[in-house]
Amino acid sequence: MGSMGVPTEYYQLVAALLFTIGLIGVLVRRSALIIFMSIELMLNAVNLSFVAFSRQHGQMDGQIFVFFVMAVAAAEVAVGLAILVAIFRNRETASVDEVHLLKG
Amino acid sequence: MGEAILFTLFSLSAVAFALGMVFRRNAVHCALHLVGVLLSLSGMFVLLHAQFIAAIQILVYAGAIMVLFLFVVMLLNVKGETPLLTPGSAKGFGFFFAFIAFVELLWIVVSQGGTEGEPAPVPALPPNFGSPAEIGKILYTTWLFPFEVTSILLMIAVVGAVVLAKRKFA
Amino acid sequence: MDAAFLIESAVKVLIVLGFVLLGVPLIVWMERKVIGHMQDRIGPQRVGPFGLLQTIADGIKLFFKEDLIPGQADRVVFFLAPALSVITAFVALSVVPFGDKVTVFGRDVPLHVADVNVAILWVLGTTSMGVYGIVLGGWASNSKYPLLGGLRSSAQMISYELAQGISLVSVILMTGTLSLAGIVAQQEHMWFIVPQFFAFVIFLLCGIAETNRAPFDLPEAETELVAGFHTEYSSMKFALYFLAEYANMMVVSAVAISVFFGGWRGPFLPPVAWFLIKLSLFLFFFVWLRATFPRLRYDQLMAFGWKVLLPASLLNLAVTAIVVALTG
Repeated sequence: MGSMGVPTEYYQLVAALLFTIGLIGVLVRRSALIIFMSIELMLNAVNLSFVAFSRQHGQMDGQIFVFFVMAVAAAEVAVGLAILVAIFRNRETASVDEVHLLKG
Repeated sequence: MGEAILFTLFSLSAVAFALGMVFRRNAVHCALHLVGVLLSLSGMFVLLHAQFIAAIQILVYAGAIMVLFLFVVMLLNVKGETPLLTPGSAKGFGFFFAFIAFVELLWIVVSQGGTEGEPAPVPALPPNFGSPAEIGKILYTTWLFPFEVTSILLMIAVVGAVVLAKRKFA
Repeated sequence: MDAAFLIESAVKVLIVLGFVLLGVPLIVWMERKVIGHMQDRIGPQRVGPFGLLQTIADGIKLFFKEDLIPGQADRVVFFLAPALSVITAFVALSVVPFGDKVTVFGRDVPLHVADVNVAILWVLGTTSMGVYGIVLGGWASNSKYPLLGGLRSSAQMISYELAQGISLVSVILMTGTLSLAGIVAQQEHMWFIVPQFFAFVIFLLCGIAETNRAPFDLPEAETELVAGFHTEYSSMKFALYFLAEYANMMVVSAVAISVFFGGWRGPFLPPVAWFLIKLSLFLFFFVWLRATFPRLRYDQLMAFGWKVLLPASLLNLAVTAIVVALTG
């Protein structure tokens, strides 16, 4: 490899692995908190992919997009966790299996 | 050579932490594993000439968002789920669909968007690629409008969080 | 990346580590001595000349004490938390310039471990990671007072981080660089304390709150929370928390010196000496504050952070931005 550096494909592979692990978390876990964290993991996998492509094409727009993803993630976490706290106060549970009614 | 070693180190730790996050029972441990993933990714961002993004990753993601997570986990004192995974056939379907998604992603990565042969060489980049100054130049010219919209989004999120988390609508 | 660079970096890392590890006992000795005299006592005087070895003796005592772990504690996190505290304090110092370039064996060696172009973000990021050490310590003990102390501290540190970051942004607006070495380089004719006095005051107040020092030491609050997050810690783990607190004081002082007081710049004496003099003055100020002010109440602390410091720092930032825009 030498001075050439690690090819972008390797970074994509890691990003794909992380994305899949996050997907598994969303699909098979029951706690809303863990599902939330898994979504963050998937967002981060995509961020890695963006930054890797940004280097490959020599343009920084990919990094700008990561910046926006982080801002949106921050907003999402603030609102999402507030919803979770509200649900937990009413139902004493954080399991998505028990919160399936859209009334409350 | 140095990049290859560091890349191996960071990618292994990222994947290991990610697996730990998904399959740990205690929510605090899960959050800590996610912090591990975020720090590993921050290292990878430095390898990819994205110093500003790497610093922001630590400052915003690991330092603020995950602390908020940890705070809520401790506040709610959620007990670990028993059983850990969703019961019945839903679990099988979950793993199955995740596997299919991974095969698809793998196929896209390996096929390199249709081009045959060796992986594309990494281009030489200008020394200030990914520095805060350069990011700022693009952010406040090309991406100015999305940037302003983001500030409104954050404002809405703050108001929404306060309204939702308040105990009584007085 | 040649071998000489690696060796140079390794040596600098070792020097910084050694500096902190040797510096902390000295600071503790100074604190006890100074507070002693301020309270009309003598302070430590038995071990070594002027009681200088008192802290070393205390360290050895802590080292040989029994290491207690509460029965219901989360053992891994209980071990991890103090280590995290110390690590975050140490890595923050890696971007602080201690002096001008020196020539060693024909190589120009700049006196900081790494001059990165995101140095200020790095310092802010690592200090915000320091919250983990305290929150996790409180949670892992599985005990009431530590948990209360941990939650208090995370709320306090997150609140004061905001104003601290914004006060630094107004300096960054003037310099146009995030590198601490670059900021020091621009203070050749005037220290930034002159144009940015309010930013400095805000930064210092937030720094004291971030390091959990009196009068903002609510997370520890011996008299009401029984030492807060480290109630259950003993022996070396307690010593690590102790070390982290004093190392964090050094970080805040070092950043304040680099950003507002011209870093290692000064007449006559060599640069490193000036850095050490300024550092000692700052640490003395920390001790002085502790001996002078009583602890704030929790609601006073939060109100002060959110209703006074944050608006003040935003106002300062807006004024700076207007001035910079008008003068070009």
